[in-house]
Amino acid sequence: MVIIPATTGQMGVLPGHVPTIAELKPGVLSVHEGNETKKYFLSSGFAFIHANSVADIIVVEAVQVDHIDPSLVQKGLAEFTQKLSSATTDLEKAEAQIGVDVHSALNSALTG
Amino acid sequence: MAMAALRREGRRFANPLLSPRPITAVRPSLFSEEDGPTGFRNISTQVVRNRMKSVKNIQKITKAMKMVAASKLRAIQVRAENSRGLWQPFTALLGDTPSVDVKKNVIVTISSDKGLCGGINSTSVKTSKALHKLVSGPDKETKYVILGEKAKAILIRDSKQDIEISITELQKNPLNYTQVSVLADDILKNVEFDALRIIFNKFQSVVSFLPTMATVLSPEVVERESESGGQIGDLDAYEIEGGETKGEILQNLAEFQFSCVMFNAVLENACSEQGARMSAMDSSSRNAGEMLDRLTLTYNRTRQASITTELIEIISGASALEG
Repeated sequence: MVIIPATTGQMGVLPGHVPTIAELKPGVLSVHEGNETKKYFLSSGFAFIHANSVADIIVVEAVQVDHIDPSLVQKGLAEFTQKLSSATTDLEKAEAQIGVDVHSALNSALTG
Repeated sequence: MAMAALRREGRRFANPLLSPRPITAVRPSLFSEEDGPTGFRNISTQVVRNRMKSVKNIQKITKAMKMVAASKLRAIQVRAENSRGLWQPFTALLGDTPSVDVKKNVIVTISSDKGLCGGINSTSVKTSKALHKLVSGPDKETKYVILGEKAKAILIRDSKQDIEISITELQKNPLNYTQVSVLADDILKNVEFDALRIIFNKFQSVVSFLPTMATVLSPEVVERESESGGQIGDLDAYEIEGGETKGEILQNLAEFQFSCVMFNAVLENACSEQGARMSAMDSSSRNAGEMLDRLTLTYNRTRQASITTELIEIISGASALEG
């Protein structure tokens, strides 16, 4: 089973799932194989679940959760929160918002 | 006037030839080749020696280029092969649809910035031109987007009015996804299209490349095709999660697909470029080697001949004095 961080919420996918196209948001992808669970942090991307019990997950970046440095995450989060409050144009705001979203998702991935 | 001067020159050159040569007979120096005034005998060997030197230098350069290409190829080949995983899911979902007929075609030709890499640039240009002919027709619009200096240089000659954007110096830094997605974004923003057709050389092995076309359809075309049960009819079977409307998610999907396909295409083309350069440089250093062998043979033979001639002259001169 895989659990995918779709924009509509976490999505568990088992063999025989209905064919689906899902947009992903920054979050944790967990891959369950028997009793083992591997967790990856995804930046964003798409997931296609095909009718023949095959799921394709395409992401720009994927990192194993235990490879992430918590102190850098905190630092990045603080930096982007500060940027968001000081942003003047819409573009800057949007960029800072993305930064905050990614870092808070990273943060919750590490703590959760 | 000039002719007269030439004739005078000619006479001056001819004189030592015609005059009897008692000097050599009296002073039997075999080694006067270097210090004498540039005698008529030395001319040919001097030219050959210069030629040999330049061929040797060229060979050194081509050998070095081959080494550089080989090491670059090794680095990039792994990345190119890994990047194939990026487009494969899209093809599994949307299928490869080169034959979908649309009004606005945009041909994205990928080539290299530098030359000396065999025929890969001319192949992609030829394929692009053929495709241009194939898809253009009445009330249709076909434009070029060009990556790389070489394709630009060729296409600007006869299709200048069709070139929408040309981008060069892509490979100054090592290729990465961020760079390519910025590029893809640029193309998506500035060009109107119904279908993007990306032409590149797919890397097969160091000596073989396949000119390849990847098709990315615009979200509207994807929707139309899937609703009318055309070539991507399977898409309707999929539930769509996230996004407000189907159109919105298809838009995101198409943009993401384009950046992924582009990323793979640039990597494949860069990989083919290095491979082609490697084999081109290999064959030219071999050619230079062969040429050098031939020149060395000629040089040695001429040198030997001139020594023999001199010996004969000395001996016959000496025997004439004796007799």
